[in-house]
Amino acid sequence: MLTWIQTLPNYTAYGTPIYFLYLILAIVPLSIGLYFGKRFAWYEALISFVFIFLMFDGTSYKQGASLIGYLIYQTILVVWYFHYRQRKNSGPVFYVTAALSILPIVIVKFTPAFVGHNSLLGFLGISYLTFRAVGTIIETRDGVVKELKWWEFVRFMLFMPTLTSGPIDRYRRFAKDYKKVPSRDKYIEMLGKSVKYLFLGFLYKFVIDYFFAEQWQPFFERMAMQHAPHLSWWTVGVAYMYTGNLFFDFAGYSLFAVGISYLMGVETPMNFNKPFKSPNIKEFWNRWHMTLSFWFRDYIFMRFVFLATKKRWFKNRNVLSSIAYMLNMMIMGFWHGVTWYYILYGFLHGLALVINDWWLRYKRKHFKIKTNAFTKGVAIFITFNFVVFTLLIFCGFLDKLWFHPFGM
Amino acid sequence: MSNRKKLWSIFGPLIVAVLMVVVVFLLPWKFNNTPATEQRAADSLSATVFKNRDLKVAALSDKKANYVPFFGSSELARMDLFHPSVMAARYHDYKPFLFGSRGTQSLPQLFNMAMMNQQLKNRKAVYIISPQWFVKEGVSSQAFKYYNGNYADYMWLQQANPKSPYDRYTASRLVFLLNDQGLVSSLANKIANGETLSAADRANLKVRLTFLSHEDQLFSGFFLNNNYGNKIAPQITQLPRQYNYPKLLTMAKEMHAAESSNNQFGILNSFYDKRVKKNIKSLKGSQRKFNYLQSPEYNDLEVVLKQFQKNNTNVIFMITPVNAKWEKYTGMSMEMYDQTVQKIKFQLQSQGFNNILDYSKDGAKKGFMQDTIHLGWAGWVKFDHQVSAFIDNKQPAPNYKLNDAFLSTKWANLKPSTTNLNQFKQDYLTR
Repeated sequence: MLTWIQTLPNYTAYGTPIYFLYLILAIVPLSIGLYFGKRFAWYEALISFVFIFLMFDGTSYKQGASLIGYLIYQTILVVWYFHYRQRKNSGPVFYVTAALSILPIVIVKFTPAFVGHNSLLGFLGISYLTFRAVGTIIETRDGVVKELKWWEFVRFMLFMPTLTSGPIDRYRRFAKDYKKVPSRDKYIEMLGKSVKYLFLGFLYKFVIDYFFAEQWQPFFERMAMQHAPHLSWWTVGVAYMYTGNLFFDFAGYSLFAVGISYLMGVETPMNFNKPFKSPNIKEFWNRWHMTLSFWFRDYIFMRFVFLATKKRWFKNRNVLSSIAYMLNMMIMGFWHGVTWYYILYGFLHGLALVINDWWLRYKRKHFKIKTNAFTKGVAIFITFNFVVFTLLIFCGFLDKLWFHPFGM
Repeated sequence: MSNRKKLWSIFGPLIVAVLMVVVVFLLPWKFNNTPATEQRAADSLSATVFKNRDLKVAALSDKKANYVPFFGSSELARMDLFHPSVMAARYHDYKPFLFGSRGTQSLPQLFNMAMMNQQLKNRKAVYIISPQWFVKEGVSSQAFKYYNGNYADYMWLQQANPKSPYDRYTASRLVFLLNDQGLVSSLANKIANGETLSAADRANLKVRLTFLSHEDQLFSGFFLNNNYGNKIAPQITQLPRQYNYPKLLTMAKEMHAAESSNNQFGILNSFYDKRVKKNIKSLKGSQRKFNYLQSPEYNDLEVVLKQFQKNNTNVIFMITPVNAKWEKYTGMSMEMYDQTVQKIKFQLQSQGFNNILDYSKDGAKKGFMQDTIHLGWAGWVKFDHQVSAFIDNKQPAPNYKLNDAFLSTKWANLKPSTTNLNQFKQDYLTR
């Protein structure tokens, strides 16, 4: 029955330059509407449907089915909780609801580690949808979500430009953008930014990343694998090439998502802000994959700190923040997937945040160092290289090098 | 600024840029490829040349230069003094156009050929087969993708016939190896299922091919490895002026002895230092389980043979040897190797491909191998000697009789004992 769907062409979001031609042509009527102060909701629903369909048709149709099931499940959960919350506010009910909302992704992330193959529930983008749904539940609990309609929630979840890989928006912010039409001046300004972001994205993803992803990283990996299972200087090269590849790929992708959102009159938040200029690791997380790290900061780190302070679990403020950092980054590690390298990556970043805090305190107390260009340069150098080192762990190459050198 | 001006300052540059790009790609630029570029492409061994069309078509259509296609894989990169490109430059009035590097097994070669059928028609060609290709999984998806591009796939899809079992086989392999959801996979899926491509599909392919061919004409002449300038040309005059086969062989053996002095295997010193020395202990006995008897590569080879038949290409095959001392050390079974060669030759000979240089038993000869599995020195001298005889002399027209039994998994998995081969012959080939 589903064979016809398997033969249809499939287009992952922003995969090829030609994709932009189709997408932007489809968005033109919408843009003209926005320019003249109208938001054609039905037309937008139509093109969103078409482009989401193209991501999940062909041989990915099973993922499409999982997406639909997942969406129905989350919508029922969120809408139910919203109605419940208008009447009552019980802690256990909130915790159970949040747990149920996280349940699918927990299953999906743990399945490969235990069963050895990917879960059937999974689909491209499940992590990002989970962040949006759970974030909405938490904000509902806080009482800041005052209004929630099921179709608006679905629109938020399925917002096509950011569907599969973020940036992670918040329901309240998104709904506010969505309910109004930007003024003409504002929209023209957004168009200008959009064009700029899209072209910067092209430069990142289709030009610079080509060299990192297709030329340099494979070359260094091949050379490094000749020394497997031993480390070599080539492996160091892999670390830098992977860092370049990841940044230009992901930052390019995020620029596309933001640029297309702006065309559609929605100010999706930025994901990267010159992360390699960071003088310390805390600053790095304020500049790298920002919507993810802010999500973790607001909903895990801060929540834990509030809870622990309220219940007086720790006497020492510094111990509290250290535990919170570790918890925060370990969860982020597990979120990436249940493998030793993701978890170690999370652990190292947690540890780095703890050490960074300690060092800043220690420095303030014991040294009178004036910040100048040199100290800043040293700080940036250390931070950057630490990040490169952890990304080498993160990328899984070491796993291949040490444990599966013959591709087994 | 008025709104109109603002919009123009945003979209104006964009519109101009798009127009410029369209103009650049749609105008039929014809950069005449100079003989120097062709020469560089012929020895570059680069994936760019392999995946594109303009340079190889120009070179093979160049009557004056007289290029002969040499299809092979990693051995082509062993550019010592007696490499066929050096030898041809010194002694013969043809030039090898080298197609292949590590990982270009039958299937990548098929797509390479599909871009230049016209140039292969009624021509001679050389095809080097390495038994190492015939591993259980066949060509790796990674290697295939590295040497495969949309340009070749689109051209192949244009000529694919959904009624031909050969093309259906190739299509299903393409889908399997690409393992993605792009246009190529979806069209190849149709072919594999025996459906013809629609007029819309064909139109789509045509537009894309126009862009790709212009892109190819514009860019593929840049960034070519200059193997010709760096490795081939400087060696030409080091060869004696007069061609003398026994003399060249002696010379090759002497050079081999001098350049492989630091190891017991007769491997080139620098190769040994770089690739072998460090792991020498762990390599002992490491190839004991190698097995090339059962592989989809046999089926892949068959579609290449079909392509030669279609183009009536008169092809000479060479089956590569392995370094006997090395294989003894690593424990590879020579019996298995011989059987593999027997199976390959059975497939070739029973379909009328009778020009075969079988070097599989030459791996112990002095100076024959440059390293563990690649020809060098004396090996190249012999190869050049026999290949040039084939190319320079008039050959009887080929008479190939293809049999699609060789596309079956039964053939891929057949253990080539004499009984099994006879049985296979009886069951499928005598009709």
